[in-house]
Amino acid sequence: MLQTMTAPAAEAQPRPILQLVGVRKTFGRFAAVESIDLDVREGEFLTIVGPSGSGKTTLLRMLAGMDTPSEGYITLRGELINDMPANRRPTCLVFQSLALFPHKSVGENITFPLKVKGVSAAARKARALELMKVVRLPPDYFDKNVMKCSGGERQRVALARAFAYDPQVLFFDEPLSALDYKLKKALEKELKDLHRETGKTFIYITHSLEEAMVMSDRIGVMRAGRLVQVGTPEEIYGAPVDRFVSEFVGEVNTIKVKRDGEEWRGVDVDGRFTLRPPADGAALGEAFVVVRPEYMRFLKEGDTADNRLTGTVYNEYSLGSRIQYQIRVGEKVMLVELSRARALPPGSDPVVTIGWDAADAFTLAG
Amino acid sequence: MATSLIRKQKRTNALIWGWTAFVLVIVYLPILCGALASFNKSRYFGFPIKTFSTDWWDKTLASFEIGMIVKTSILIALVVTVLSVVIATFGALAFARYDWTGRRLYQKLIILPIFFPQPVLGLALLLGFNAVGIQTSWMTAAFAHLVWIVPVVTLVIAIQVYGFDPALEEAAYDLGCSRIQVFREVTLPLLWPGIWSGMLFAFLLSWSNFPLSLYTAGADSTIPKWLYAKMVAGYTPMVPALGTMATLGAAVLLLGGGLVGLLARRRRPA
Amino acid sequence: MADLAHTETQPRALAHAPEGMDGVRHARRLSVGARCALPVAVLLGLGFLAPLVAILAYSFATPRSFDVFRSFTLANFATLFDPSNTVWVSFVWSCGFALFTVALLAVIAYPIAYGLNMVFGRYAGFVSVLFVFPLFVSENVRLYGWVLFFIKNGVLDGTLKWLGLPGGPEVLYTPGITLFGMLYTYLPFMLFPMTLGLALVPRDLVDAARDLGAGRLFIWREIELPLAMPGILIGMLLTFVLAIGATAEAKILGGQSVIVISHDIEIAFTYSQNWPLGSALAVVVTAFIGVLILYVLSRLDLDRMLGRR
Repeated sequence: MLQTMTAPAAEAQPRPILQLVGVRKTFGRFAAVESIDLDVREGEFLTIVGPSGSGKTTLLRMLAGMDTPSEGYITLRGELINDMPANRRPTCLVFQSLALFPHKSVGENITFPLKVKGVSAAARKARALELMKVVRLPPDYFDKNVMKCSGGERQRVALARAFAYDPQVLFFDEPLSALDYKLKKALEKELKDLHRETGKTFIYITHSLEEAMVMSDRIGVMRAGRLVQVGTPEEIYGAPVDRFVSEFVGEVNTIKVKRDGEEWRGVDVDGRFTLRPPADGAALGEAFVVVRPEYMRFLKEGDTADNRLTGTVYNEYSLGSRIQYQIRVGEKVMLVELSRARALPPGSDPVVTIGWDAADAFTLAG
Repeated sequence: MATSLIRKQKRTNALIWGWTAFVLVIVYLPILCGALASFNKSRYFGFPIKTFSTDWWDKTLASFEIGMIVKTSILIALVVTVLSVVIATFGALAFARYDWTGRRLYQKLIILPIFFPQPVLGLALLLGFNAVGIQTSWMTAAFAHLVWIVPVVTLVIAIQVYGFDPALEEAAYDLGCSRIQVFREVTLPLLWPGIWSGMLFAFLLSWSNFPLSLYTAGADSTIPKWLYAKMVAGYTPMVPALGTMATLGAAVLLLGGGLVGLLARRRRPA
Repeated sequence: MADLAHTETQPRALAHAPEGMDGVRHARRLSVGARCALPVAVLLGLGFLAPLVAILAYSFATPRSFDVFRSFTLANFATLFDPSNTVWVSFVWSCGFALFTVALLAVIAYPIAYGLNMVFGRYAGFVSVLFVFPLFVSENVRLYGWVLFFIKNGVLDGTLKWLGLPGGPEVLYTPGITLFGMLYTYLPFMLFPMTLGLALVPRDLVDAARDLGAGRLFIWREIELPLAMPGILIGMLLTFVLAIGATAEAKILGGQSVIVISHDIEIAFTYSQNWPLGSALAVVVTAFIGVLILYVLSRLDLDRMLGRR
């Protein structure tokens, strides 16, 4: 069966399997990846997220050995692999296009890396059938034309092929992006299960944070070639390091504030605010208060909250089990998201007071 | 180890460049030989050339017979260009744009003439003209050229059609255009690069065609046909002279055509 | 959460629209497509199929006569297949030339096609134009250039003598130079389909194979070659068929040291004025070529080759 390793233990410092030091990649004068330092832990599921053009694919191609870094070092279990070509690296990439060989059957695709190694036909088939079981493909698919498989089945074939290579690290380049929503959700969970079952190190890149949140042990956020923040999903969501990360992670209300003596005064909305001190403890003259819509609430007469604003409801969106309100406060639009049970009753006054507690917001440097 | 791999890759690339350059030299060598021969003062060819002169160019340019032949060649090429582009544009739409019953068969039938030996096609056409009693002349030669060139031009334009999003035509319909307006305002401008290359191909392939003209031009003669007659009859420096002129003409046309195409692309909004 | 609700509602709202529109589009296309094909169909019907029919009709006419459609005899075919007739020698020569042309051109063109796809980068367009251009110079002019090159006191011989060497080899008017002429003339017809074929191999697949541990030779054998095969096949077919029908190389360079099949057809039509015999020969050659073409084409998907997705 698959080479199983112990699941990532909660020990203090697991040895990094893959280590990046000052990795940089330039194309002409353009730097696609700017000086990245990263330790990947043995057996973890690490997701790199970032908008398109942030350099995540370039980073992945360097890790997989399809590009070489212009500067810096990539080491695998302590061995420098900067210039090691892809076919010598004990790592394997699952392509965005999946890159299944269209002229080969499901079985031939899966056994391809074994054929390369010169494994006998019988042993190849036995191994392929094992792997097909792991990725939940019926055994009679062995001789099926790979182009006749559905999107989800192709995904499984690509996974089985990668496992057949028995890599120490698996890379994924948004392999789920072309699938429909439902299938994608199901496969995300399956991938997570496979990760746990096999104990392999997975590095996954995507532009969808939702995908990252569901599957990852840790998430790295990339922007303009740099890793802006690396942390657990909770850290990324709850304590983003800057506005880019906070906005990337989901919809937010951002209010620009200025220090006014001991207090903070709104720049783009009227009002005085109580702030949680910024994470790095820096003394700020200007800052942004960031509040997620689900931490906002409507205040009735007598309700208390650390901060409050008054505005007019001008739009509401149904999000299924939840409702989002758009509220105009002066020139700004604030978002409030509630469960349906707590929605404003129909016909209520459009002028509302909204509020939040300082502990539910975070403060970012201006 | 890794650097040796990169070095190996570099060496392979250098070998590929070298081989391509070598083949290109061979490709252009005979054309160069013809040009050299045309500047030899002597009536008979010998190398190295003792005296260079443009005498044979002058004589060729002054010849009334050659003037007639050049005119016939141009006439045929122009007629072929105009007709083949019109026919092939529609042919390419049928080839690549529309789904219709019989398209697969049509796609295969249309490339048959390209896959057919031209000398045999020329003889077959001659026989056909004869069977229905048509006197062969430059017009029958132009028709023969069309049979071979229309499929080529259709493929050239079809490649452009493949890269063209049918939704654009549908959007134009949706915005109230008639079928003709859609064709004029959307289809034609978007296919223009393909049509332009198709026109260049049509003219140049007709200009240089030999086997079809040989059998189907009757008493009229085109440049390649005339050259062949002289080659068989014995050497005259007018053969390389006219051959080189025809080559230069084609080169100028190709360069000019390419340049116009490039400029037209530049003028488009970025 | 927010994304969930959005993406779930959108596809449902649109689900039925494309189906309905597709039906309408299909009905309309059917007639438009056929109408667009009409001019080409008429041209090829008159200019390609009709002459073939005429040839077929002539091949059944009385030998050395012109009474097409008025007589029916198999005498012409009997003459062709008569063991005393040496026309088969020409046919064998033509087939031999064609086979060698295909095999050698495949080897000559492959590195260039590979280079056009993978190595030449932004020069690829320019290199292609350099290979296309000779198609616009009539083949007899180019072949005649080779005569000037190889002839006694020609460019090669003259240069060697000028250098004090014994002079060039006498290669003109031999079957070997005829083959060389064919290689020379038909190179673009192998090169361009092959380039198109290699362009069909997605880079991803090559990268994936390498990532899975495959070496260069393994990738070439398992991935590149099979996926580029449609293009290579078209190139082979095209050069084979054109080489079978070639006459100019044998006449101009070969000096008629060997009579190729098309030349035999031509002789029957011109010098011996035996149109029915020439037609019968043309019918045999056409049938041979036709079967070959239709067989290979039936195995290829032109839409995929030329870029429809």
